[in-house]
Amino acid sequence: MPFIEVNNLVKDYKLNVRKKGLLGSLQSLLVPEYKMKRAVNDISFSINKGEMVGFIGPNGAGKSTTVKMLTGILVPTSGSITIDGLCPYKERKRNAMRLGVVFGQRTQLWWDLPVIDTFELLKYIYKIPEPRYKKNMELFNELLEINSFISQPVRQLSLGQRMRADIAAALLHDPEIIFFDEPTIGLDVIAKEKVREFIRYINKEKGTTMLFTTHDMQDIEKTCQRMIIIDQGVTIYDGTVEEIKEKYGTNRTLQVDFSENVEKIDIPGIQVIEEKGSKKRFKFRKDEIQISSLINELTQKYSIVDLTVQEPEIEGIIREIYQGGIKFDESLCGVR
Amino acid sequence: MRAYVEFAKKAFQNNIAYRADCVAGIINAIIMIFVNICVWKAIYEDEQAVDGVQFKMLITYVVLAFLMQCIYAMDEYRIENKVRSGSIGLDLLKPINFSGYIFSYNVGILIFRVVLQLTPALIISIILFKMLPPFSLTMFALFLVSMILGYLVLYCLNFIVWISSFWFYWTFSLVTIKDAAVMILSGALLPLWFMPQAMVDFINLTPFASIYYVPITIYLGQMPMEEIAFALLKQLIWVLGLFIVGRLLWRSALKKLVVQGG
Repeated sequence: MPFIEVNNLVKDYKLNVRKKGLLGSLQSLLVPEYKMKRAVNDISFSINKGEMVGFIGPNGAGKSTTVKMLTGILVPTSGSITIDGLCPYKERKRNAMRLGVVFGQRTQLWWDLPVIDTFELLKYIYKIPEPRYKKNMELFNELLEINSFISQPVRQLSLGQRMRADIAAALLHDPEIIFFDEPTIGLDVIAKEKVREFIRYINKEKGTTMLFTTHDMQDIEKTCQRMIIIDQGVTIYDGTVEEIKEKYGTNRTLQVDFSENVEKIDIPGIQVIEEKGSKKRFKFRKDEIQISSLINELTQKYSIVDLTVQEPEIEGIIREIYQGGIKFDESLCGVR
Repeated sequence: MRAYVEFAKKAFQNNIAYRADCVAGIINAIIMIFVNICVWKAIYEDEQAVDGVQFKMLITYVVLAFLMQCIYAMDEYRIENKVRSGSIGLDLLKPINFSGYIFSYNVGILIFRVVLQLTPALIISIILFKMLPPFSLTMFALFLVSMILGYLVLYCLNFIVWISSFWFYWTFSLVTIKDAAVMILSGALLPLWFMPQAMVDFINLTPFASIYYVPITIYLGQMPMEEIAFALLKQLIWVLGLFIVGRLLWRSALKKLVVQGG
C-alpha cells in the first residue's frame, strides 16, 4: 500500500468579490458578494515511502493548496487523503507528530532567541528522547555546521544560516514525511548546493518521504526522481524527470568556434540561433539529425577550434509546458 | 505538559531580550502612579476624607491598580499577527494545543513582569508613596487568590477579542475599545465606590469588577468576610463562562481556517 494516497481531491474557495471604485467598495462592505473558485480540481496520486517528489506548476496552480491539505491544515471540499492510513485533517495532531515542514519564506524559529532555544523547545514539543536529540544535533552540525551560529539570536542570522537552522528544526524529530516549500529561495549557489546535498543525504539515510514545491528546477532535478506538474488545479504530468527530458527535450544546441569567419553553413535541419564573429550556435532536433554525423560533416567542411553540445535545461522544457507550447500525449504515464 | 512549561520559559526569555523596554515599563508605572496621586491630591486638597474614604486608602488603591495593570499586560496582537502573516499554519502543524500554547506564553510574560517589573516598582512605591500594608494576613492571602482569578477573567476576555482576528484581521479598534471598557468599568482608574449606584449595579452584572475592583477591596479590607466568598465564586464563574465562550469561538475559528484557508 502506498504511503500517501490522494484520490479525486477537490478544493473550492469562497472568494470575496470586490467592486471597483469608492461606491463599489462601500457596496462590497455592506453587501458582500462571493464567488466560488476551484483551486484544486480532481487530483489523484500516490507516493511510496522514501520517495522524493517535486510538485511544480506556475503561481496559483494549486500547489500550496494541495500541500496544505496534505498537512491537514485545510479540509478538502471532496476527495480523500490518507497518509499511512491516517486522514490528515481529522487527526491533525497525530499526523503532526510525524510530519516536518520547511517554508523557505517563513521561519518557525523564535526570532529573538538563540537558535538552540528553539531546538530545545522542539525537543519537548515532539517529546524527543535525549539520546536521539543529541545524535541528531551532532549529525546536523556535521552536515550543516549549525554549531557556528547556534547561540546567536535568529534575527542576527544570515538567510543561509537561518535556512539551515530551519531545516534542522524541521528534521529534529525524525519525521517520516517532510514538506519543503521553496527550501532554497534566496540562497546563493553554494548554500543551495549544501541544502540539496543535506536533503539527499537524509532521504538516503533515514528513508524519509519528501515532497517539494519549488520554482527552482535545479532543486527538483538534483533531488527528486519524480515530478508532478500541476496547472489550473489539474495534474498535467506525473512521472520521472528523465522521461520528460527524453520525450520533450528533443532540441540540442551545438556551439562551434570556427578558426576563420564562415559565411554560411548549409546543412539541412539545423538552424543558426546566434552568431558572434567566428562563434556560432545551432539548434537541431536530435531525432532528425545524428550528432555524430553532424560533427563529422562540420569537421570535414570547416576547420574548427572548439565545439560543445548542450542538452536542454529542464527549465526550458517546463517554460514551454507552462506556455502551452508542449502538449502531452496520452502515452506518457500519469497524463490524463 | 513539559512543552507548555518550556513555552512559558521561552516567553520569559523572549521578553528579557529587550532590557530597555523592561526598564521603561517600570518608569512608566511609577510616573502613572505619581500623576494619578497628584490628581487625587488636588481633588482632596486639605480634606482628609471624601465620601468617608481615607486618603491613604485611596493612594493604596491607586498604587495597587497601576501595579496590577503592569503585570496584567498581555501580548494583545500575537494571534492577530499569526493570522495575518499566515504563520498560524505552522503552529497548527505542531502536535500541541494552540490555546494552551498561547496561555503558557502569556503566563511566561506574567512571570517576567512579576519578577522584573512588579518587584522593583513595588519597592519604589512603598518608599515613595507610602502605600498601606494589607489589611490582615488572611486578607492578603485572599487578595492573592482573587488577583489570580482576576487575571484569568481578563485573560479569557482578551482571548475572545484576540480570536476575533480570524474574522476581522485587524483588531486594533476592538482591543482599544476593550481596554477602555476594562479601564473604566473594572475600577482600574477610578474606584467603583465613587460611581453612581446605577452604574455600579450595571458593572456588577459584567465581568469587569472581577478584574481589579474585587482584589483591591479585599486587600484594603473593605469587603466583609461573608461577601468575599461570594465575590470569589463570582470571579470563578466568570472565568468558566468566558473560557467556554472562548473555546467555542476558537473552534469555529479553526473551522473557518481549515475550510477557508484563513
